[in-house]
Amino acid sequence: MKDVDFNADKVLAKDFLSNFADANGEAKYINILQDVANHKRRAVQIDLEDLLNYKDLDEEFFRRVTENTRRYIGIFASAIDDVMPEPTEPFPDDDHDILMTQRTEDATENTDGSDPQQKMPAEIKRYYEVYIRAPSKGRPFTIREVKASYIGQLVRISGIVTRCSDVKPLMQVAVYTCEDCGFEIYQEVTARVFMPLFECPSRRCKTNKTNGNLILQLRASKFLKFQEAKIQELAEHVPKGHIPRSMTVHFRGELTRKVAPGDVVELSGIFLPIPYTGFRALRAGLVADTYLEAMSVTHFKKKYEEYELRGDEEEQIARLAEDGDIYNKLARSLAPEIYGHEDIKKALLLLLVGAPHRKLKDGMKIRGDLHLCLMGDPGVAKSQLLKHIINVAPRGVYTTGRGSSGVGLTAAVQKDPVTNEMVLEGGALVLADMGICAIDEFDKMDELDRTAIHEVMEQQTVSIAKAGITTSLNARTAVLAAANPAWGRYDLRRTPAENINLPPALLSRFDLLWLILDRADMDSDLEMARHVVYVHQNKESPALGFTPLEPSKLRAYISAARRLSPYVPKELEEYIATAYSSIRQEEAKSNAPHSYTTVRTLLSILRISAALARLRFSETVAQSDVDEALRLMQMSKFSLYSDDRQRSGLDAISDIYSILRDEAARTNTMDVSYAHALNWISRKGYSEAQLKECLEEYAALNVWQIHPHTFDIRFIDA
Amino acid sequence: MVGPPYDCLANPLGAVRLTFEKAIGSGSHPSSFDGKDWGTVDLFRHFLFDQSHLSQVPILNLATIRWIQPNTLVRFRGMIQDMLGNEFYVGAYKDGSVWRTNKYMDFSQFPIGSSPGSRVWERRLLYCVPVPGINSWAESASEVAIDGCMNWTSQQRDKRGRMDFEAMDAKDFPVSGSNFEDSPSAKRMKEDGQDYKTEAACSGTTVVSEIDKDSFPCLVKIYDSPESELKLNDVFEFVGVLTFDSEIPAEKGDHDEFCNDYCDDDLVHLPSSKVPRLHCIIHRKLAAHDFLHTSPIIEQKPHWVKDVRESLLKHLTDVLGNDGVAAHYMLLHLLSRVHSRVDNVAVGKLSLNITCLSKESVSVFGTQLSLAIKNLLPFSTCIPLTVEYLSRSSLAPKKDYQTNRLIPGVLQLAEGSHLIIDETQLETGTLNSVGVDNARLLRNLIEFQKVEYDFTYYKMEMTADVQLLILSEGKSNILPADIIMPFQPSSVGSSEVVATKALEAWRWYLATVRSLPHSIESEMQKVVEDDLVAARQTDRSIGSQDFSRWLTMGRLISSSFGETSLSLEHWQMVKELERQRRERLK
Repeated sequence: MKDVDFNADKVLAKDFLSNFADANGEAKYINILQDVANHKRRAVQIDLEDLLNYKDLDEEFFRRVTENTRRYIGIFASAIDDVMPEPTEPFPDDDHDILMTQRTEDATENTDGSDPQQKMPAEIKRYYEVYIRAPSKGRPFTIREVKASYIGQLVRISGIVTRCSDVKPLMQVAVYTCEDCGFEIYQEVTARVFMPLFECPSRRCKTNKTNGNLILQLRASKFLKFQEAKIQELAEHVPKGHIPRSMTVHFRGELTRKVAPGDVVELSGIFLPIPYTGFRALRAGLVADTYLEAMSVTHFKKKYEEYELRGDEEEQIARLAEDGDIYNKLARSLAPEIYGHEDIKKALLLLLVGAPHRKLKDGMKIRGDLHLCLMGDPGVAKSQLLKHIINVAPRGVYTTGRGSSGVGLTAAVQKDPVTNEMVLEGGALVLADMGICAIDEFDKMDELDRTAIHEVMEQQTVSIAKAGITTSLNARTAVLAAANPAWGRYDLRRTPAENINLPPALLSRFDLLWLILDRADMDSDLEMARHVVYVHQNKESPALGFTPLEPSKLRAYISAARRLSPYVPKELEEYIATAYSSIRQEEAKSNAPHSYTTVRTLLSILRISAALARLRFSETVAQSDVDEALRLMQMSKFSLYSDDRQRSGLDAISDIYSILRDEAARTNTMDVSYAHALNWISRKGYSEAQLKECLEEYAALNVWQIHPHTFDIRFIDA
Repeated sequence: MVGPPYDCLANPLGAVRLTFEKAIGSGSHPSSFDGKDWGTVDLFRHFLFDQSHLSQVPILNLATIRWIQPNTLVRFRGMIQDMLGNEFYVGAYKDGSVWRTNKYMDFSQFPIGSSPGSRVWERRLLYCVPVPGINSWAESASEVAIDGCMNWTSQQRDKRGRMDFEAMDAKDFPVSGSNFEDSPSAKRMKEDGQDYKTEAACSGTTVVSEIDKDSFPCLVKIYDSPESELKLNDVFEFVGVLTFDSEIPAEKGDHDEFCNDYCDDDLVHLPSSKVPRLHCIIHRKLAAHDFLHTSPIIEQKPHWVKDVRESLLKHLTDVLGNDGVAAHYMLLHLLSRVHSRVDNVAVGKLSLNITCLSKESVSVFGTQLSLAIKNLLPFSTCIPLTVEYLSRSSLAPKKDYQTNRLIPGVLQLAEGSHLIIDETQLETGTLNSVGVDNARLLRNLIEFQKVEYDFTYYKMEMTADVQLLILSEGKSNILPADIIMPFQPSSVGSSEVVATKALEAWRWYLATVRSLPHSIESEMQKVVEDDLVAARQTDRSIGSQDFSRWLTMGRLISSSFGETSLSLEHWQMVKELERQRRERLK
């Protein structure tokens, strides 16, 4: 080992403390020290990031600090002693100060030589605690990654707190007085146990051979608050087939009482061994337990609003945003292993993005969260979609209509078994506040929850009046529900209203309602058979044909999108109003209305449009957003009333058009041969005559050109 | 033969020391051994496998622990039940001017001076237990070897070893709470080791709560090997140095003094006086093969495989009261295992639900069946499903943060275990929340072959590979098996005694055939695809699960004939079997 000149490093530390200026040009640490001198704060946190940004940075010095942090805390502390400014404000003296003044007076009187144990240790004079905080760049370690080579170093770890001890005092400096000579004797304590002194070591007692009796002075001794905790690896960091590791963490002084069991935290601290003491040291001389001496605690935030973009994510998002096809790309990346269902995935993406909340002047709130209901036959991957969305969302709760706990979906008043007090316990919807609550088996919900969910879905609160507790809890959550049709399978002979076993009051609260049916379709059957055979043959899923975005990237993009709050420009108001009134008109005309178009529908259109604008990173809603919103709403209706579509000839034409367009987009060409087109549409049960009609109609609209002889199609680039 | 200057069996540490000194002598600095081996593993691998001394290494179990000396080479076969994290130790240090190592040791043999150059290394602690539900034949198979070396070691067994054992025996074994019933059997074992062995053999595994009965945990310390090699619930054989000292009293008082209620030391809960430590030098994963007595030396000819298949099928038919179709399905079921996992689907599982069993008939066929399975497969367990059992037992493993241990649940099973769930005992009643949770766990296991382990703050899904057989009166709704098989016996099953020779052949057959590779040729693929689509066109209720089941059956049938690719004939057999089964379901 090279000889390290600690005195030189102390000079460096002093220089850094007195000269460092933050972004605003303020002397950050001098300001902190002034507060300390005025007894306004105790913790002096030295951010290593500041050290990195310091103009006269010595790389070697930085490396030494991270690798031998414990030692450098002492160096920084003594540097602080030297640069500590005088207090500028008067503050009441406490015991500590009175003792201190006395001691300084004493010290001048009876200095009897350089007896180390009589010299006052610097610790006892200090009113502050020094922490060195690791730079927050890069990914924190998992507990598993902290190896033997990190002993003594500053590391940053993420984990979940599993146990916490009570806060206890830990002696830092023991102070004794001698019965004979009256001297104060100091003993620094560095470990958790120490051997008390019994004989006065002062020179006077030694020369007199009196063996002065020492009495421990608890009031004069210095104690630190001390708390021990255990952290455990997060579930996502544990490799497959392994058990989460755990680690002991020691909190001292100001860092105590910062964590509670269940908190997900990021800690920076020094990874240190605990030397065994006493008998165990003899026996187990070679094994050492380790712990983390905490230096800073950060709680993880699991909300979009507080999602911090890391490193190059910002750049990647910008690149993604430039891509014109981002809407489709993001939608396809949701649950990529589930085949098809593109419109549903688009709707789910919009659910993740949501629209901004609006608060009117009179205090009324208009929700921005989109609610979505998927209904369909068993085995059409509804639950998988739900679970996937929960994984993508930073805060999501998955539950079933018959939530197993007594709390249910909303909230319950329960008696605490320990204190016998009545406590409010939030249900899934409350826990998912500011997130997404996925409710599977929505149709099988308890009657009690079903009444409460009306309130949650529109007012976004849960009100409780039970056992003397009347309150209302926030439940600002987007509800994603999945339900089975009334008779298990969708019965085509009955009307949709009969099949959907939910009251209209509840249904109208969903922005989009989707019906996923398992239709007899040669194409999809063959697709399924191929897929299963492929899986059995190759032991993996067939390639997707595109690379889905990773969930983390998706999350970053969505969180960036959620920061915007787009508004509807004046010129679009008219357009939306006309669209809405025409839907109302249409409904009034038809003899069997399929849905209840209400003001809620209008709000839904606005919400979906706003979510679409957010996805484009635009502050204003464009007409294309409204069109897409209307299309999605129309599609969701079509999924419900598809039999109508089959009947009316006009719809067949547009359907053929959408088939052709989708297929062309899929194969990424502008040219489609007639034979191909015929093949595609005949699979969906349309005739050649209908195709011809469609070709002509859309050619007249200049959507595509038709080759006069071969009838091949060429899309006109818009 | 000129032996090496040390005895790998009796003094493995000597060998370790020698190799270390040699490595140092050749000019390497100890810092170059950080997380690396310096030749010890090669030496022992050569000794154990190339010179095939493996069979001479005594197996560590309740019976042998009393005469095995500490610091000798032993083997331990078991399942990794828990992972206790890392342990740091001073791996190499300077004693004066000589480098010494502490690898494969608990305590230093020489006092460690505070020399600056000492290297801190780490090792991983694995808490291993005997494989849950291990059947007596598989267990005895691993004991065979001991007879050979009994003489060799018995000379060395001295009084101290005996006393050690008794001291240990007087205390309870520190496993999972339910060990109080153990004491009688443990006592008897002390009186007569032989007696114990037979008892263990018959106590078997019919009732799950008895799994812990012969629990003999071992703390294995793993050096240097990559983390991904050893996974939870894997069955391994560890060869290494045993340290086991009951001499040192548990220094509880010393500890309590300053740790109060907050002690977090794993080792305190597993004092070395109760749980032996094994410093692992070499480990290898065990497959079903390794539990066989002897592998038949018959070369693998197709007709031989067919012969064994025929005789096994006949045996199963006998056991199942002459129900040939059920026997076919049973054979396929016994051959199934999870080959891969593709988006949440466990490919290759084939759980079987035998219905139409009443309480009376289950006592005849159920017991015969479980006996037959016990004789065929190395690990098997049985859960009698009752309302009370569901509401009370803890099926999933749970982390106890007080002791920092994973408390085993019934569903923590080794890969390839067989589990019978007897639902005929189930009566109407109300489940409490534990029961609902347990039912959900069972359902998850049967559908996805996954078990959720409870870590209080979050749950972790662990993959499993368990063959599930459900016996029930009607179709089980709690446990939706892949195949519902109405059982139609035509005679009371025969209880003929099966020749050991035949049993061994069958075991060998099951172990071998299970791991055969499989492929579907492209012409066959076309036929299969067309068949699947046609089936779905005629019956809309057929879904991807049915497709998957047929393909699994196709694979299993062709493997059962010892073939590696699907032939038309076998595909037809699948369809025929399914037709017969559907007939019965009507």
